Amino acid sequence: MPDPAVILENVSVELGGRVILDSLNAEIEAGCLTAIMGPNGAGKTTLLHAILGLAPHKGRILFGKNRSDRRPRLGYVPQRLDLDRGSPITVRDFLASIQTDRPLWTGIARLTDQSSEAALERIGIRSILNAPMGKISGGETQRVLLAQALLRKSEILLLDEPAAAVDISGEALFCDILEEIQNELGITLLLVSHDLSIVSTHARNVICLNRSIICSGPVAQVMTPDNVRKVFSPHTDVYSHSHSHPSTAS
Amino acid sequence: MDFLLDLLASVLPFGWLEPDFMRRALLGLILIAPACATMGVQVVSFRMAFFSDAISHSAFTGVALGLILGLDPRWSMIGFGVLVGCGVLILARQTELSTDTVIGVFFAAVVALGVVVVSARRGLGRYFESVLFGDILAIRDAELWLILALALAVLVFEAVAFNRLLLLALNPPLAHSRGIKSTPWEMAYGILLALLVMVALRAVGLLLVTALLVVPAATARNLARSASGLFWWASVLAAVSSMLGLYLSYVWGSATGATVILVGVLLFVASFGWRLVRRLRLVKP
Repeated sequence: MPDPAVILENVSVELGGRVILDSLNAEIEAGCLTAIMGPNGAGKTTLLHAILGLAPHKGRILFGKNRSDRRPRLGYVPQRLDLDRGSPITVRDFLASIQTDRPLWTGIARLTDQSSEAALERIGIRSILNAPMGKISGGETQRVLLAQALLRKSEILLLDEPAAAVDISGEALFCDILEEIQNELGITLLLVSHDLSIVSTHARNVICLNRSIICSGPVAQVMTPDNVRKVFSPHTDVYSHSHSHPSTAS
Repeated sequence: MDFLLDLLASVLPFGWLEPDFMRRALLGLILIAPACATMGVQVVSFRMAFFSDAISHSAFTGVALGLILGLDPRWSMIGFGVLVGCGVLILARQTELSTDTVIGVFFAAVVALGVVVVSARRGLGRYFESVLFGDILAIRDAELWLILALALAVLVFEAVAFNRLLLLALNPPLAHSRGIKSTPWEMAYGILLALLVMVALRAVGLLLVTALLVVPAATARNLARSASGLFWWASVLAAVSSMLGLYLSYVWGSATGATVILVGVLLFVASFGWRLVRRLRLVKP
């Protein structure tokens, strides 16, 4: 049995008298990508927020093989930032604010800048360091959001539909980068997605959620047409095919 | 305070600054306006202009209650403004109503209460001209000390909170994952902002105090190319508007607060033009 990174024991979340998550029990395997799938309103983001300690919950959320309730260093990659296009905040400012409490208006230390450059270099967008955040593309924004999470040297990365706002090729590129990072650093990735293709291509394990856990386990076992129809709708289906995808071919 | 006033006279040896009340007014303005402008950077990010409006409009009620209860109306006005600010912040977190709706209810309540109290007690009206339009030329030592303390408090707060508030404005769960809890930081920011609004009211009046927060920050967005630029442009523009506005109000005999804001708005228009030119240059093949 592989080591767990996150253990959910009877985790329930109620907001405004409404049950959002109902008695979840699951173990999220360390060092691999686990996808959380489900329709809109299934409680996927709420589960990430509960793991982050943002959503008050019943039950226990434990971490690591020692089953500690102390949170390890968690990285969070949100869907988007609340930023208008005219804002002068640059990628450099954003990455510095993640790393240091030294106020940006007193300048950014060289060491901070070097770390930001290295994080951007790793995901192939070093050239946008001084670009305003409001002016970069959706795909670049997602990569910057990934870079900020890497800067924290997180043990577990929580990704909330990170590629929802980018086109198909941007999404594939993002997932390739994610896979590379995961292979290189061996960190645990927990990815919220309702894209069946992304999940079946990139994830090792999957948790199907619709307020409670419908099914969970290795992708090959769980992503059956029956389960997919149960989670999404009777009109959804999985079309299996034999060829490998260019993005995943090694 | 005399030391600072003498220093101002030696650094700026202009004829129009010879009268003591002009030097006091300038000192008050160049302390309070940059403090408002730097807090205004977050007012723009958090879209809190309506919050500041509601606080400033509670001034009437604060003054009226002070007079009725036998308190100094300047201090009761500040205290009541901070109470209203806390009320808005707490209620916005306790209900499922949007923050705008909560502020709207508070806004209506404080203005209505103020009008009822003032109309029922004859003779209170004479205090309200200075609340409406500000009266920086009549500022006293105690108020200057308060402004100085508040400006220093804003500087310290911005040193500690600037990055945290930026992350909270960009994405609260992301900020939380960095250990930044939204409630204490937003409450601290809101209370300091309420205090600042009520003190700045003395300079420009309740009708224009939100402009002191928003206009330099908006101008800075047109000129700055980074977060640091935003902070410094806002501070410098606020200080320049204050000095130029005070001078022009002296020359024209106009209301000081309104003239300061008018200069600020003209700088905004100029910055907007400059931004437009810069964009056209970039687009040009």
